[in-house]
Amino acid sequence: MLYRVIEAAEIPLLVRAFMESYEVVAPVKRGRTHTFDVVEDPARIDLDYETTVISPKKYFLPSKETLLTFDVAGNEVTDYTAEVTPRVVFGAHACDINAINRLDLVFKEGPYADPYYVARRNATLIVGISCMPNENCFCHLWDSDEARFGYDLFLQNIGDKYLVSISSVEAANILEASCNPQVATDEDRIAFRKATRRRQESFNRDIPDIQEVAMLMDAFHKDPFWEELGERCLGCTACSAACPTCYCFDIYDVLDPGGKTGRRERAWDSCTAPQFALVAGGHNFRGSRRGRVRHRMYHKLNGFLANHDHMLCVGCGRCVVSCKARINPIEVLGFFKEKGAHDAE
Amino acid sequence: MQSSCAVSTVRVAPSAGYTAPLTGREMMLENPYRPWPARITSITEMTAAEKLFEMRIIDERIREAFHHSPGQFVEVSLFGIGEAPFSISSSPSKQGFIELCVRRAGAFTEALHGMQCGDIVGLRGPFGRGFPFEDMRKHDVLLVAGGLGIAPLRALINNIHDERSDFGKVTIIYGAKTPAELMFRDQFEMWRHRNDFDLYLTVDVPDETWSGEVGLVTQPFERLEIDARNTFGAICGPPVMYSFVIEAMRKKHISYDHIYVSFERHMKCGMGKCGHCQIGHQYVCIDGPVFNYWEAKNIQGSM
Repeated sequence: MLYRVIEAAEIPLLVRAFMESYEVVAPVKRGRTHTFDVVEDPARIDLDYETTVISPKKYFLPSKETLLTFDVAGNEVTDYTAEVTPRVVFGAHACDINAINRLDLVFKEGPYADPYYVARRNATLIVGISCMPNENCFCHLWDSDEARFGYDLFLQNIGDKYLVSISSVEAANILEASCNPQVATDEDRIAFRKATRRRQESFNRDIPDIQEVAMLMDAFHKDPFWEELGERCLGCTACSAACPTCYCFDIYDVLDPGGKTGRRERAWDSCTAPQFALVAGGHNFRGSRRGRVRHRMYHKLNGFLANHDHMLCVGCGRCVVSCKARINPIEVLGFFKEKGAHDAE
Repeated sequence: MQSSCAVSTVRVAPSAGYTAPLTGREMMLENPYRPWPARITSITEMTAAEKLFEMRIIDERIREAFHHSPGQFVEVSLFGIGEAPFSISSSPSKQGFIELCVRRAGAFTEALHGMQCGDIVGLRGPFGRGFPFEDMRKHDVLLVAGGLGIAPLRALINNIHDERSDFGKVTIIYGAKTPAELMFRDQFEMWRHRNDFDLYLTVDVPDETWSGEVGLVTQPFERLEIDARNTFGAICGPPVMYSFVIEAMRKKHISYDHIYVSFERHMKCGMGKCGHCQIGHQYVCIDGPVFNYWEAKNIQGSM
């Protein structure tokens, strides 16, 4: 990969250059936290952010979208085109880029490519930004603290400069046209090494590192722990909304007020919703909270891995904050740590 | 600036606020969420709650491209009400038409039951992995159906029927709650008459017309002579039935990977994405709905 160095002061120039051709979305401060939002003034962007409530997945898999419109009388489809806004996601963290790479496995590279997702993915550039972990971050445990692909530019902060990994031609053109990218010096490389080491050393060491978690998910599938965890679940589905890798959705029809036409929509759904595995006739294949919570964790920490060789968790820590019942992978890791200690005695 | 991140067939020369519509034949062909119009060509009342719908895809090009294997399913659309998955009940050898056996069990099926011959529905598919028909050739086949489970198995039975000389001994055990709930009776009587199949019909609650067996579908197993090394088992029925029937087949020494089960879940997208049909690490819609028992054993939460 090609590396160049730009000054921190050049960032607004880069953003403005993107704005000429794309809608730019970036982290901006909102209340006590940050959110990805459309920016028209580079000064609004706050690249020194911890995390956002919702990840950039919303730009690839919107919380709600129309798949097609229909005419009821003829029972026929009238339109199924998608509108795609060419966009730059500016300032995505490594975990969120890795999360999009996971979504690609399902929506872009699976047996059925999803045309809506693929159209958005192809029309979107991603500019990553380096970060420092907060107390809920555990991306390093799942090897997600570095993004190795899936972006167009990645900006690694090295003091008052950025070491830029350049991955696509479009981004390279814009970078060269707007900034004055320099060849990296030995000093830059040393600063890069220091910065990444500082990040690696800053993770919360209280979060247990249980690398055999996938196997343990199978081995302890019937453990009473899941009952205890399930009992707490409120079924609010905030975990899935906040999760950058949760992609399940519902499909349903919405009639226009006249009742003659309508649209088929899909919207984010969650396997922790009580009716998620309900079938016609009333049987619910995951009728208990225990079963639902366990299934979600199992898919994250074992099931997806079995099919795609990656966890469906990037350790972003969002669910640690969003779940009011403290159900999150750290709890699961904690259980396995305790269990291991107990059984070893 | 001209961007090379063009979307599908549309050249994207974006500016702020510009949105590019996705149009063109490419998209039409590629959009797997788009149902195609199909005409209901025949409706047969099976029981008080079940009807058999015969459908024909109207677009000739799409119709001719439609090939399914027994055990696969389609998504049926009634626009304004929604979409639901149904296993295909007809044999792939019946070309140009698709038969679906539908139980009235909710708002969607209620509406479908209210439709007439000539009415149009939306159809997309076929989806999923069906029974291993090619592997089953030259073997004996033992099929066990409970209730509506006969719907997908009938596709397999009819497919075997159409190429009967390619198979060994074929045994069908079909159970229902009452004699009135047995479906496809005309067909079964015909097959039994021709000695193509050994057919065991059993009900839980007999009435005065019933002269057949009473009890569980596993009851006839005691009398079956099974060449375990040469037999494939195929099971479809309500969730409670699986463990009993599998146990009976295992007792007859049929290999783990020669016992096939078809799972029922609510497949909403049919393409391994929406998550509603997931069991453990598998999607019933793309990895199944037909799994062999070894695979099923290895799925957490499958039974």
